[in-house]
Amino acid sequence: MPNASGNYHVSSAVIVAVPAMEDKVLATLSQMSNVEVYGHQGGKIVVVIEGTSTGMLGECLSQISTLEGVVAANMVFEHVEKEETIGNDRRTDAA
Amino acid sequence: MTGELTRRDILKAHAAGIAAATAGIALPAAAQPVPGGVTALEIKWSKAPCRFCGTGCGVMVGVKEGQVVATHGDMQAEVNRGLNCIKGYFLSKIMYGADRLKTPLLRKRNGAYAKDGEFEPVSWDEAFDVMAEQAKRVLKEKGPTAVGMFGSGQWTIFEGYAATKLMRAGFRSNNLDPNARHCMASAAYAFMRTFGMDEPMGVYDDFEHADAFVLWGSNMAEMHPILWTRVADRRLGQPHVRVAVLSTFTHRSMDLADIPIIFTPGTDLAILNYIANHIIQTGRVNQDFVQRHTRFVRGVTEIGYGLRPEHPLEKAAPNAADPTKMEPIDFEAFKAFVSDYTLAKTAELTGVDPGFLEQLAELYADPDRKVMSLWTMGFNQHVRGVWANQMVYNIHLLTGKISEPGNSPFSLTGQPSACGTAREVGTFAHRLPADMTVTNPKHRERAEEIWRIPKGIIPDKPGYHAVLQDRMLKDGKLNFYWVQVNNNIQAAPNTSNETWQGYRNPDNFIVVSDAYPTITAMSADLILPAAMWVEKEGAYGNAERRTQVWRQLVQAPGEARSDLWQIAEFSKRFTTDEVWPADILESNPEYRGKTLFDVIFRNGEVDRFPLSEIDPAYDNHEAKDFGFYIQKGLFEEYATFGRGHGHDLAPFNMYHEVRGLRWPVVDGKETLWRYREGFDPFVKPGEGVNFYGQPDGKAVIIAVPYEPPAESPDEEYDIWLVTGRVLEHWHSGSMTLRVPELFRAFPGAVCFMNADDARKRGINQGAEVRIVSRRGEMRARIDTRGRNRMPPGVIFVPWFDASKLINKVTLDATDPISKQTDFKKCAVKIIPVAV
Repeated sequence: MPNASGNYHVSSAVIVAVPAMEDKVLATLSQMSNVEVYGHQGGKIVVVIEGTSTGMLGECLSQISTLEGVVAANMVFEHVEKEETIGNDRRTDAA
Repeated sequence: MTGELTRRDILKAHAAGIAAATAGIALPAAAQPVPGGVTALEIKWSKAPCRFCGTGCGVMVGVKEGQVVATHGDMQAEVNRGLNCIKGYFLSKIMYGADRLKTPLLRKRNGAYAKDGEFEPVSWDEAFDVMAEQAKRVLKEKGPTAVGMFGSGQWTIFEGYAATKLMRAGFRSNNLDPNARHCMASAAYAFMRTFGMDEPMGVYDDFEHADAFVLWGSNMAEMHPILWTRVADRRLGQPHVRVAVLSTFTHRSMDLADIPIIFTPGTDLAILNYIANHIIQTGRVNQDFVQRHTRFVRGVTEIGYGLRPEHPLEKAAPNAADPTKMEPIDFEAFKAFVSDYTLAKTAELTGVDPGFLEQLAELYADPDRKVMSLWTMGFNQHVRGVWANQMVYNIHLLTGKISEPGNSPFSLTGQPSACGTAREVGTFAHRLPADMTVTNPKHRERAEEIWRIPKGIIPDKPGYHAVLQDRMLKDGKLNFYWVQVNNNIQAAPNTSNETWQGYRNPDNFIVVSDAYPTITAMSADLILPAAMWVEKEGAYGNAERRTQVWRQLVQAPGEARSDLWQIAEFSKRFTTDEVWPADILESNPEYRGKTLFDVIFRNGEVDRFPLSEIDPAYDNHEAKDFGFYIQKGLFEEYATFGRGHGHDLAPFNMYHEVRGLRWPVVDGKETLWRYREGFDPFVKPGEGVNFYGQPDGKAVIIAVPYEPPAESPDEEYDIWLVTGRVLEHWHSGSMTLRVPELFRAFPGAVCFMNADDARKRGINQGAEVRIVSRRGEMRARIDTRGRNRMPPGVIFVPWFDASKLINKVTLDATDPISKQTDFKKCAVKIIPVAV
């Protein structure tokens, strides 16, 4: 669903969880619709967050950072595209 | 799935790959990034330090079609290594709030300026005409002491430097102070009193070397998330590492604490003396270090609370007039002094479990454990903030745990250039660049020489500090006042009785330069629209002495102009004959008839670098307007103050190439640990350690006691009020509240309260209450279950919310030495609002 700006955002974040709580944090993350876990190791979890605005992503990160067992949640990379580009462009040259 | 990789898949894999590299973990094969996946972005990426806190993270700023469209953590930045906290993540949005100021606004009635008029858009010319007329009126009627300026640790280095020149060399007034006075004045005074030189000896590299971290009243998890991540990495990666967190309530940093300590407000002083006592009693003083590198003093006590002189607490304080006095003592006297602070007595006074106190003291006493102490507002916003800072140095000095990797008393800062601008440039009412002071004739002479102005121009008396400026505005003694990059109506203590009344005093003309219509701007008579962050070339200095420079990446909206442009442009409206004394001009006739712009900026030094030195790939509005590379000229002139004696900065151009350098920079090499042979080029071979800021090379260990706060709960006002910040909002919220999602995440200030305290008063979770002090009141909703968990008898209210001004309630008590306000301790009562 394109929003008013028609932008689409892909961001990655590193979450630091208390090791004993890692599984619980992973379980909560798996229930968040726009969050995908890409890998985890020793309490560090790499996720990708998608959404139609920086705000949606930031809101999501705020939510993650206040979860029980989360010590820190920081953004790493963000990419913004026009919705139509990402929607129509099924293949890229690189793929 | 079609089996083909979509562009979205590639972007996601790319993003995850970068995050994994940053975190130092391997991803499953399926999630590996695709090489070359994101190439045709058409985004121009440039480096800049983050606009928010004092950590000084590097961010990459992506610009497309003249707009900042993306930012991400700079992988090459040593501070944050690719990470970006939640506030930093929203950097690209702070410039694009819908209510951004784009034109000057002047209060007018019937076409002319009127204090009681309504704001109307005016041209820059009209704005400066009225402003200059008002400044000249005040200068003529009352002289330079009635003119003042309130700046910020968010000023760029160039802006702070231009401001200090305009005020001291131009208007001959030392009434210049930064909002950093509210933030780290206590830290700065303690550095000067202990080491004779400002700013930490250590660096962030200490995070990876320490075996223990002690947070003194700091909630790094929310306020310094990137540095907290480094603490967490060390703690979780090395099982022997310990974390102690001291606070007046339970917050998110406690999640990682091995030693959680909740103490009664103000009693941290007793804990510090107890630790010193414990080190001495258990025979763990580093005798050799203490003997060679320290000396002992006793500070005067009963020094008052920085309130108005007629306040009974000031009248009752025998040393309120000179709170800075210290007399030499010896180790034995110090030992006897702290011996009062036994474990039993300290546990009783502080309310802390003795077991935790002992564990904490052992972290410091154990000679095999490297300790990093970290603090910000808990120590600094403290009526005995200078003492608290000095007392933590005491315990590092007694054990010799200082100036080496991992042994590091580390004062964190809250603003991006509290160090780089407010402190190093010398924007405090008593300071000149490079730790020099206006009261020292040699320092004034040196400044006049570098500034190429006649001898005797810089006034010799310190000006009004932040809280005193508010009092003098209210009392009608400070009448022309220019505020840049801060929101003091919201930030200042006891604001409705002191600050706000001063702004609306009919004798006063108040100018506020800001990017947004903050409540401070709306309380002014003239609002000047400011360019912010990457809308101008800038330079900041972070908490670890790292100087970072960025280029102008986009244009400011409408007529908005940088503070530097505003200061320089305004200076054109004054001639030396109007503002300098006749006798000085008589003996220096070559200065006659010149504008202040001529003597401050066209002085042969600041205008030395031509436009051709600017990288053609970037714009530079100020330089193009003035016809010379003004930022470089200001920086190089300013750097002259510190080069050769321990404040050395690199040549300006180098900063455009690197991710910042930590001063002193000697022969292009930065300094990580100051005062230590092998790390610091100013320490000679064989000296080992030399605290060369002090004439005898020795750091000061001070004997000072626990003294109570200015106001404690009593029968009527029965609960402690602590104020502070939350993760989502930075300071007064003037930027973060304009990011809708941050606003949604934490929309309004709430009152965090202990559940039993609430129940006893018949208050339910979410109910509205009045928070009432002897100064004023505000309303907020009660939160007993939120992220901050309060002990009985203490509430916490964040101050970011302009619609809920907790500073109507706070007390304008300051540390008498640093003049920094104590926002952490006053007494209030809570009254349920009848539904």
